Amino acid sequence: MSAALPDNALETAAAPTGLRLSDVVLLRGGRLLQPDLSLSMRAGEVVLLRGPNGSGKSTLLRTIAGRLATPAGGITCDVPILYIGHADGLSPALSGRRNLGDWARLNGLVGDDDAIDAALDRMQARAFAELPVRTLSHGQRRRVALARLTLGQAHALWLLDEPNAGLDAASSIALDDLISGHLDGGGMVLAATHLPLGVTHKPRTLTLEVPS
Amino acid sequence: MTPFELQLRRDLSLGWAGRGDMLVVLGFFLIIVTLFPLALGPDPAQLRMIAVPVIWVAAMLASLAGFTRIFADDVRCGWVDQVALSPMPLAVYALAKAVGHWALSALPIIAVTPLMALLLNLGPGQLVPLMLALALGTAALTLLGVIGAALTEGARGGSGLMALLVLPPAMPVLIFGALASAPDEGRVVTPHLMLLGAVLAVLLAIAPFIAAAALAESESESGG
Repeated sequence: MSAALPDNALETAAAPTGLRLSDVVLLRGGRLLQPDLSLSMRAGEVVLLRGPNGSGKSTLLRTIAGRLATPAGGITCDVPILYIGHADGLSPALSGRRNLGDWARLNGLVGDDDAIDAALDRMQARAFAELPVRTLSHGQRRRVALARLTLGQAHALWLLDEPNAGLDAASSIALDDLISGHLDGGGMVLAATHLPLGVTHKPRTLTLEVPS
Repeated sequence: MTPFELQLRRDLSLGWAGRGDMLVVLGFFLIIVTLFPLALGPDPAQLRMIAVPVIWVAAMLASLAGFTRIFADDVRCGWVDQVALSPMPLAVYALAKAVGHWALSALPIIAVTPLMALLLNLGPGQLVPLMLALALGTAALTLLGVIGAALTEGARGGSGLMALLVLPPAMPVLIFGALASAPDEGRVVTPHLMLLGAVLAVLLAIAPFIAAAALAESESESGG
């Protein structure tokens, strides 16, 4: 399933490849967070989502990922979405390697040992990949989850929720490199973060205000 | 490997890693059944009379105890988010969860049923119909449980709500199941068993879609 495609999304068929939000309304728990959000992104672009806690950054990412409905507004996205939210999508009882392999095969991606090893190496996560995820530290878990980025498709839209929170310096740099490489290859990145990202491409910033 | 197989294998691995949960359901079943001879006294004729109903009610209640966990871990760790974004339909995911859950919690119950039948002095000819009916009945129950688990996911007091949600529609399963387990003159395939099969077939067709609709959206647990 790609992002939710409301009926009125068809009007924007002429838009270039990428993500387009038009007058999206964000709700969380029935409360209005943002009355109208618009954004359009094209291949090779990175947008940083800023704003204080509770302004709807995670909610926006989940809405674009199709995990929340928007009561009004249109979202179109014509590329695959790779979402890494607060919950990292790793079952605690299984190893990092098993989690990544299952995820890759589920998505029809190459999930053999070589591909997984390469992905784990990018985030320096191979040393603890055989351990149950439950036994890993928060930062280690994050690194395993982020290894997914290497396995995904080149032109995908990455939706990253606080991707570098809890990462050590070396892993943060590895993540920056991954993002830069993805943008070079024509991918898109939308990241909600309080921390700076050291990517080579100049990011645009979308700032969400706290709802009054 | 199809996505269905992948999810099923994953659940079997998870079930094995967390076999304590499985044993809780089985232990619950054993204890409920054992309580009856203790409460009723050792009169063989009386025990034989209540054997089938007791085993059925115990299987239902024990199954109910395991239902709240069907989706809980997958939702909490974000796996459902990843499934929703993948090419695998959520209905296929829900069906795989149902099959996995049945294999891990209902099969052990069916496996120890001969022992319970011995304890309750069940007639020898009744064991096969009972186990057959239990197999179909627990499968139908599990599908109801999958609906209940998806609907109550994220609701506070989910387990209490689950009992109220799942037990009323489970009544036909209990009625047909108990009747099919005690057939006259040693027949195995009775109209009651066929009716039980029909209930299972209907649930098999609709439960995955209802569960998928309930899982289609979810707010994250944290973040803003």
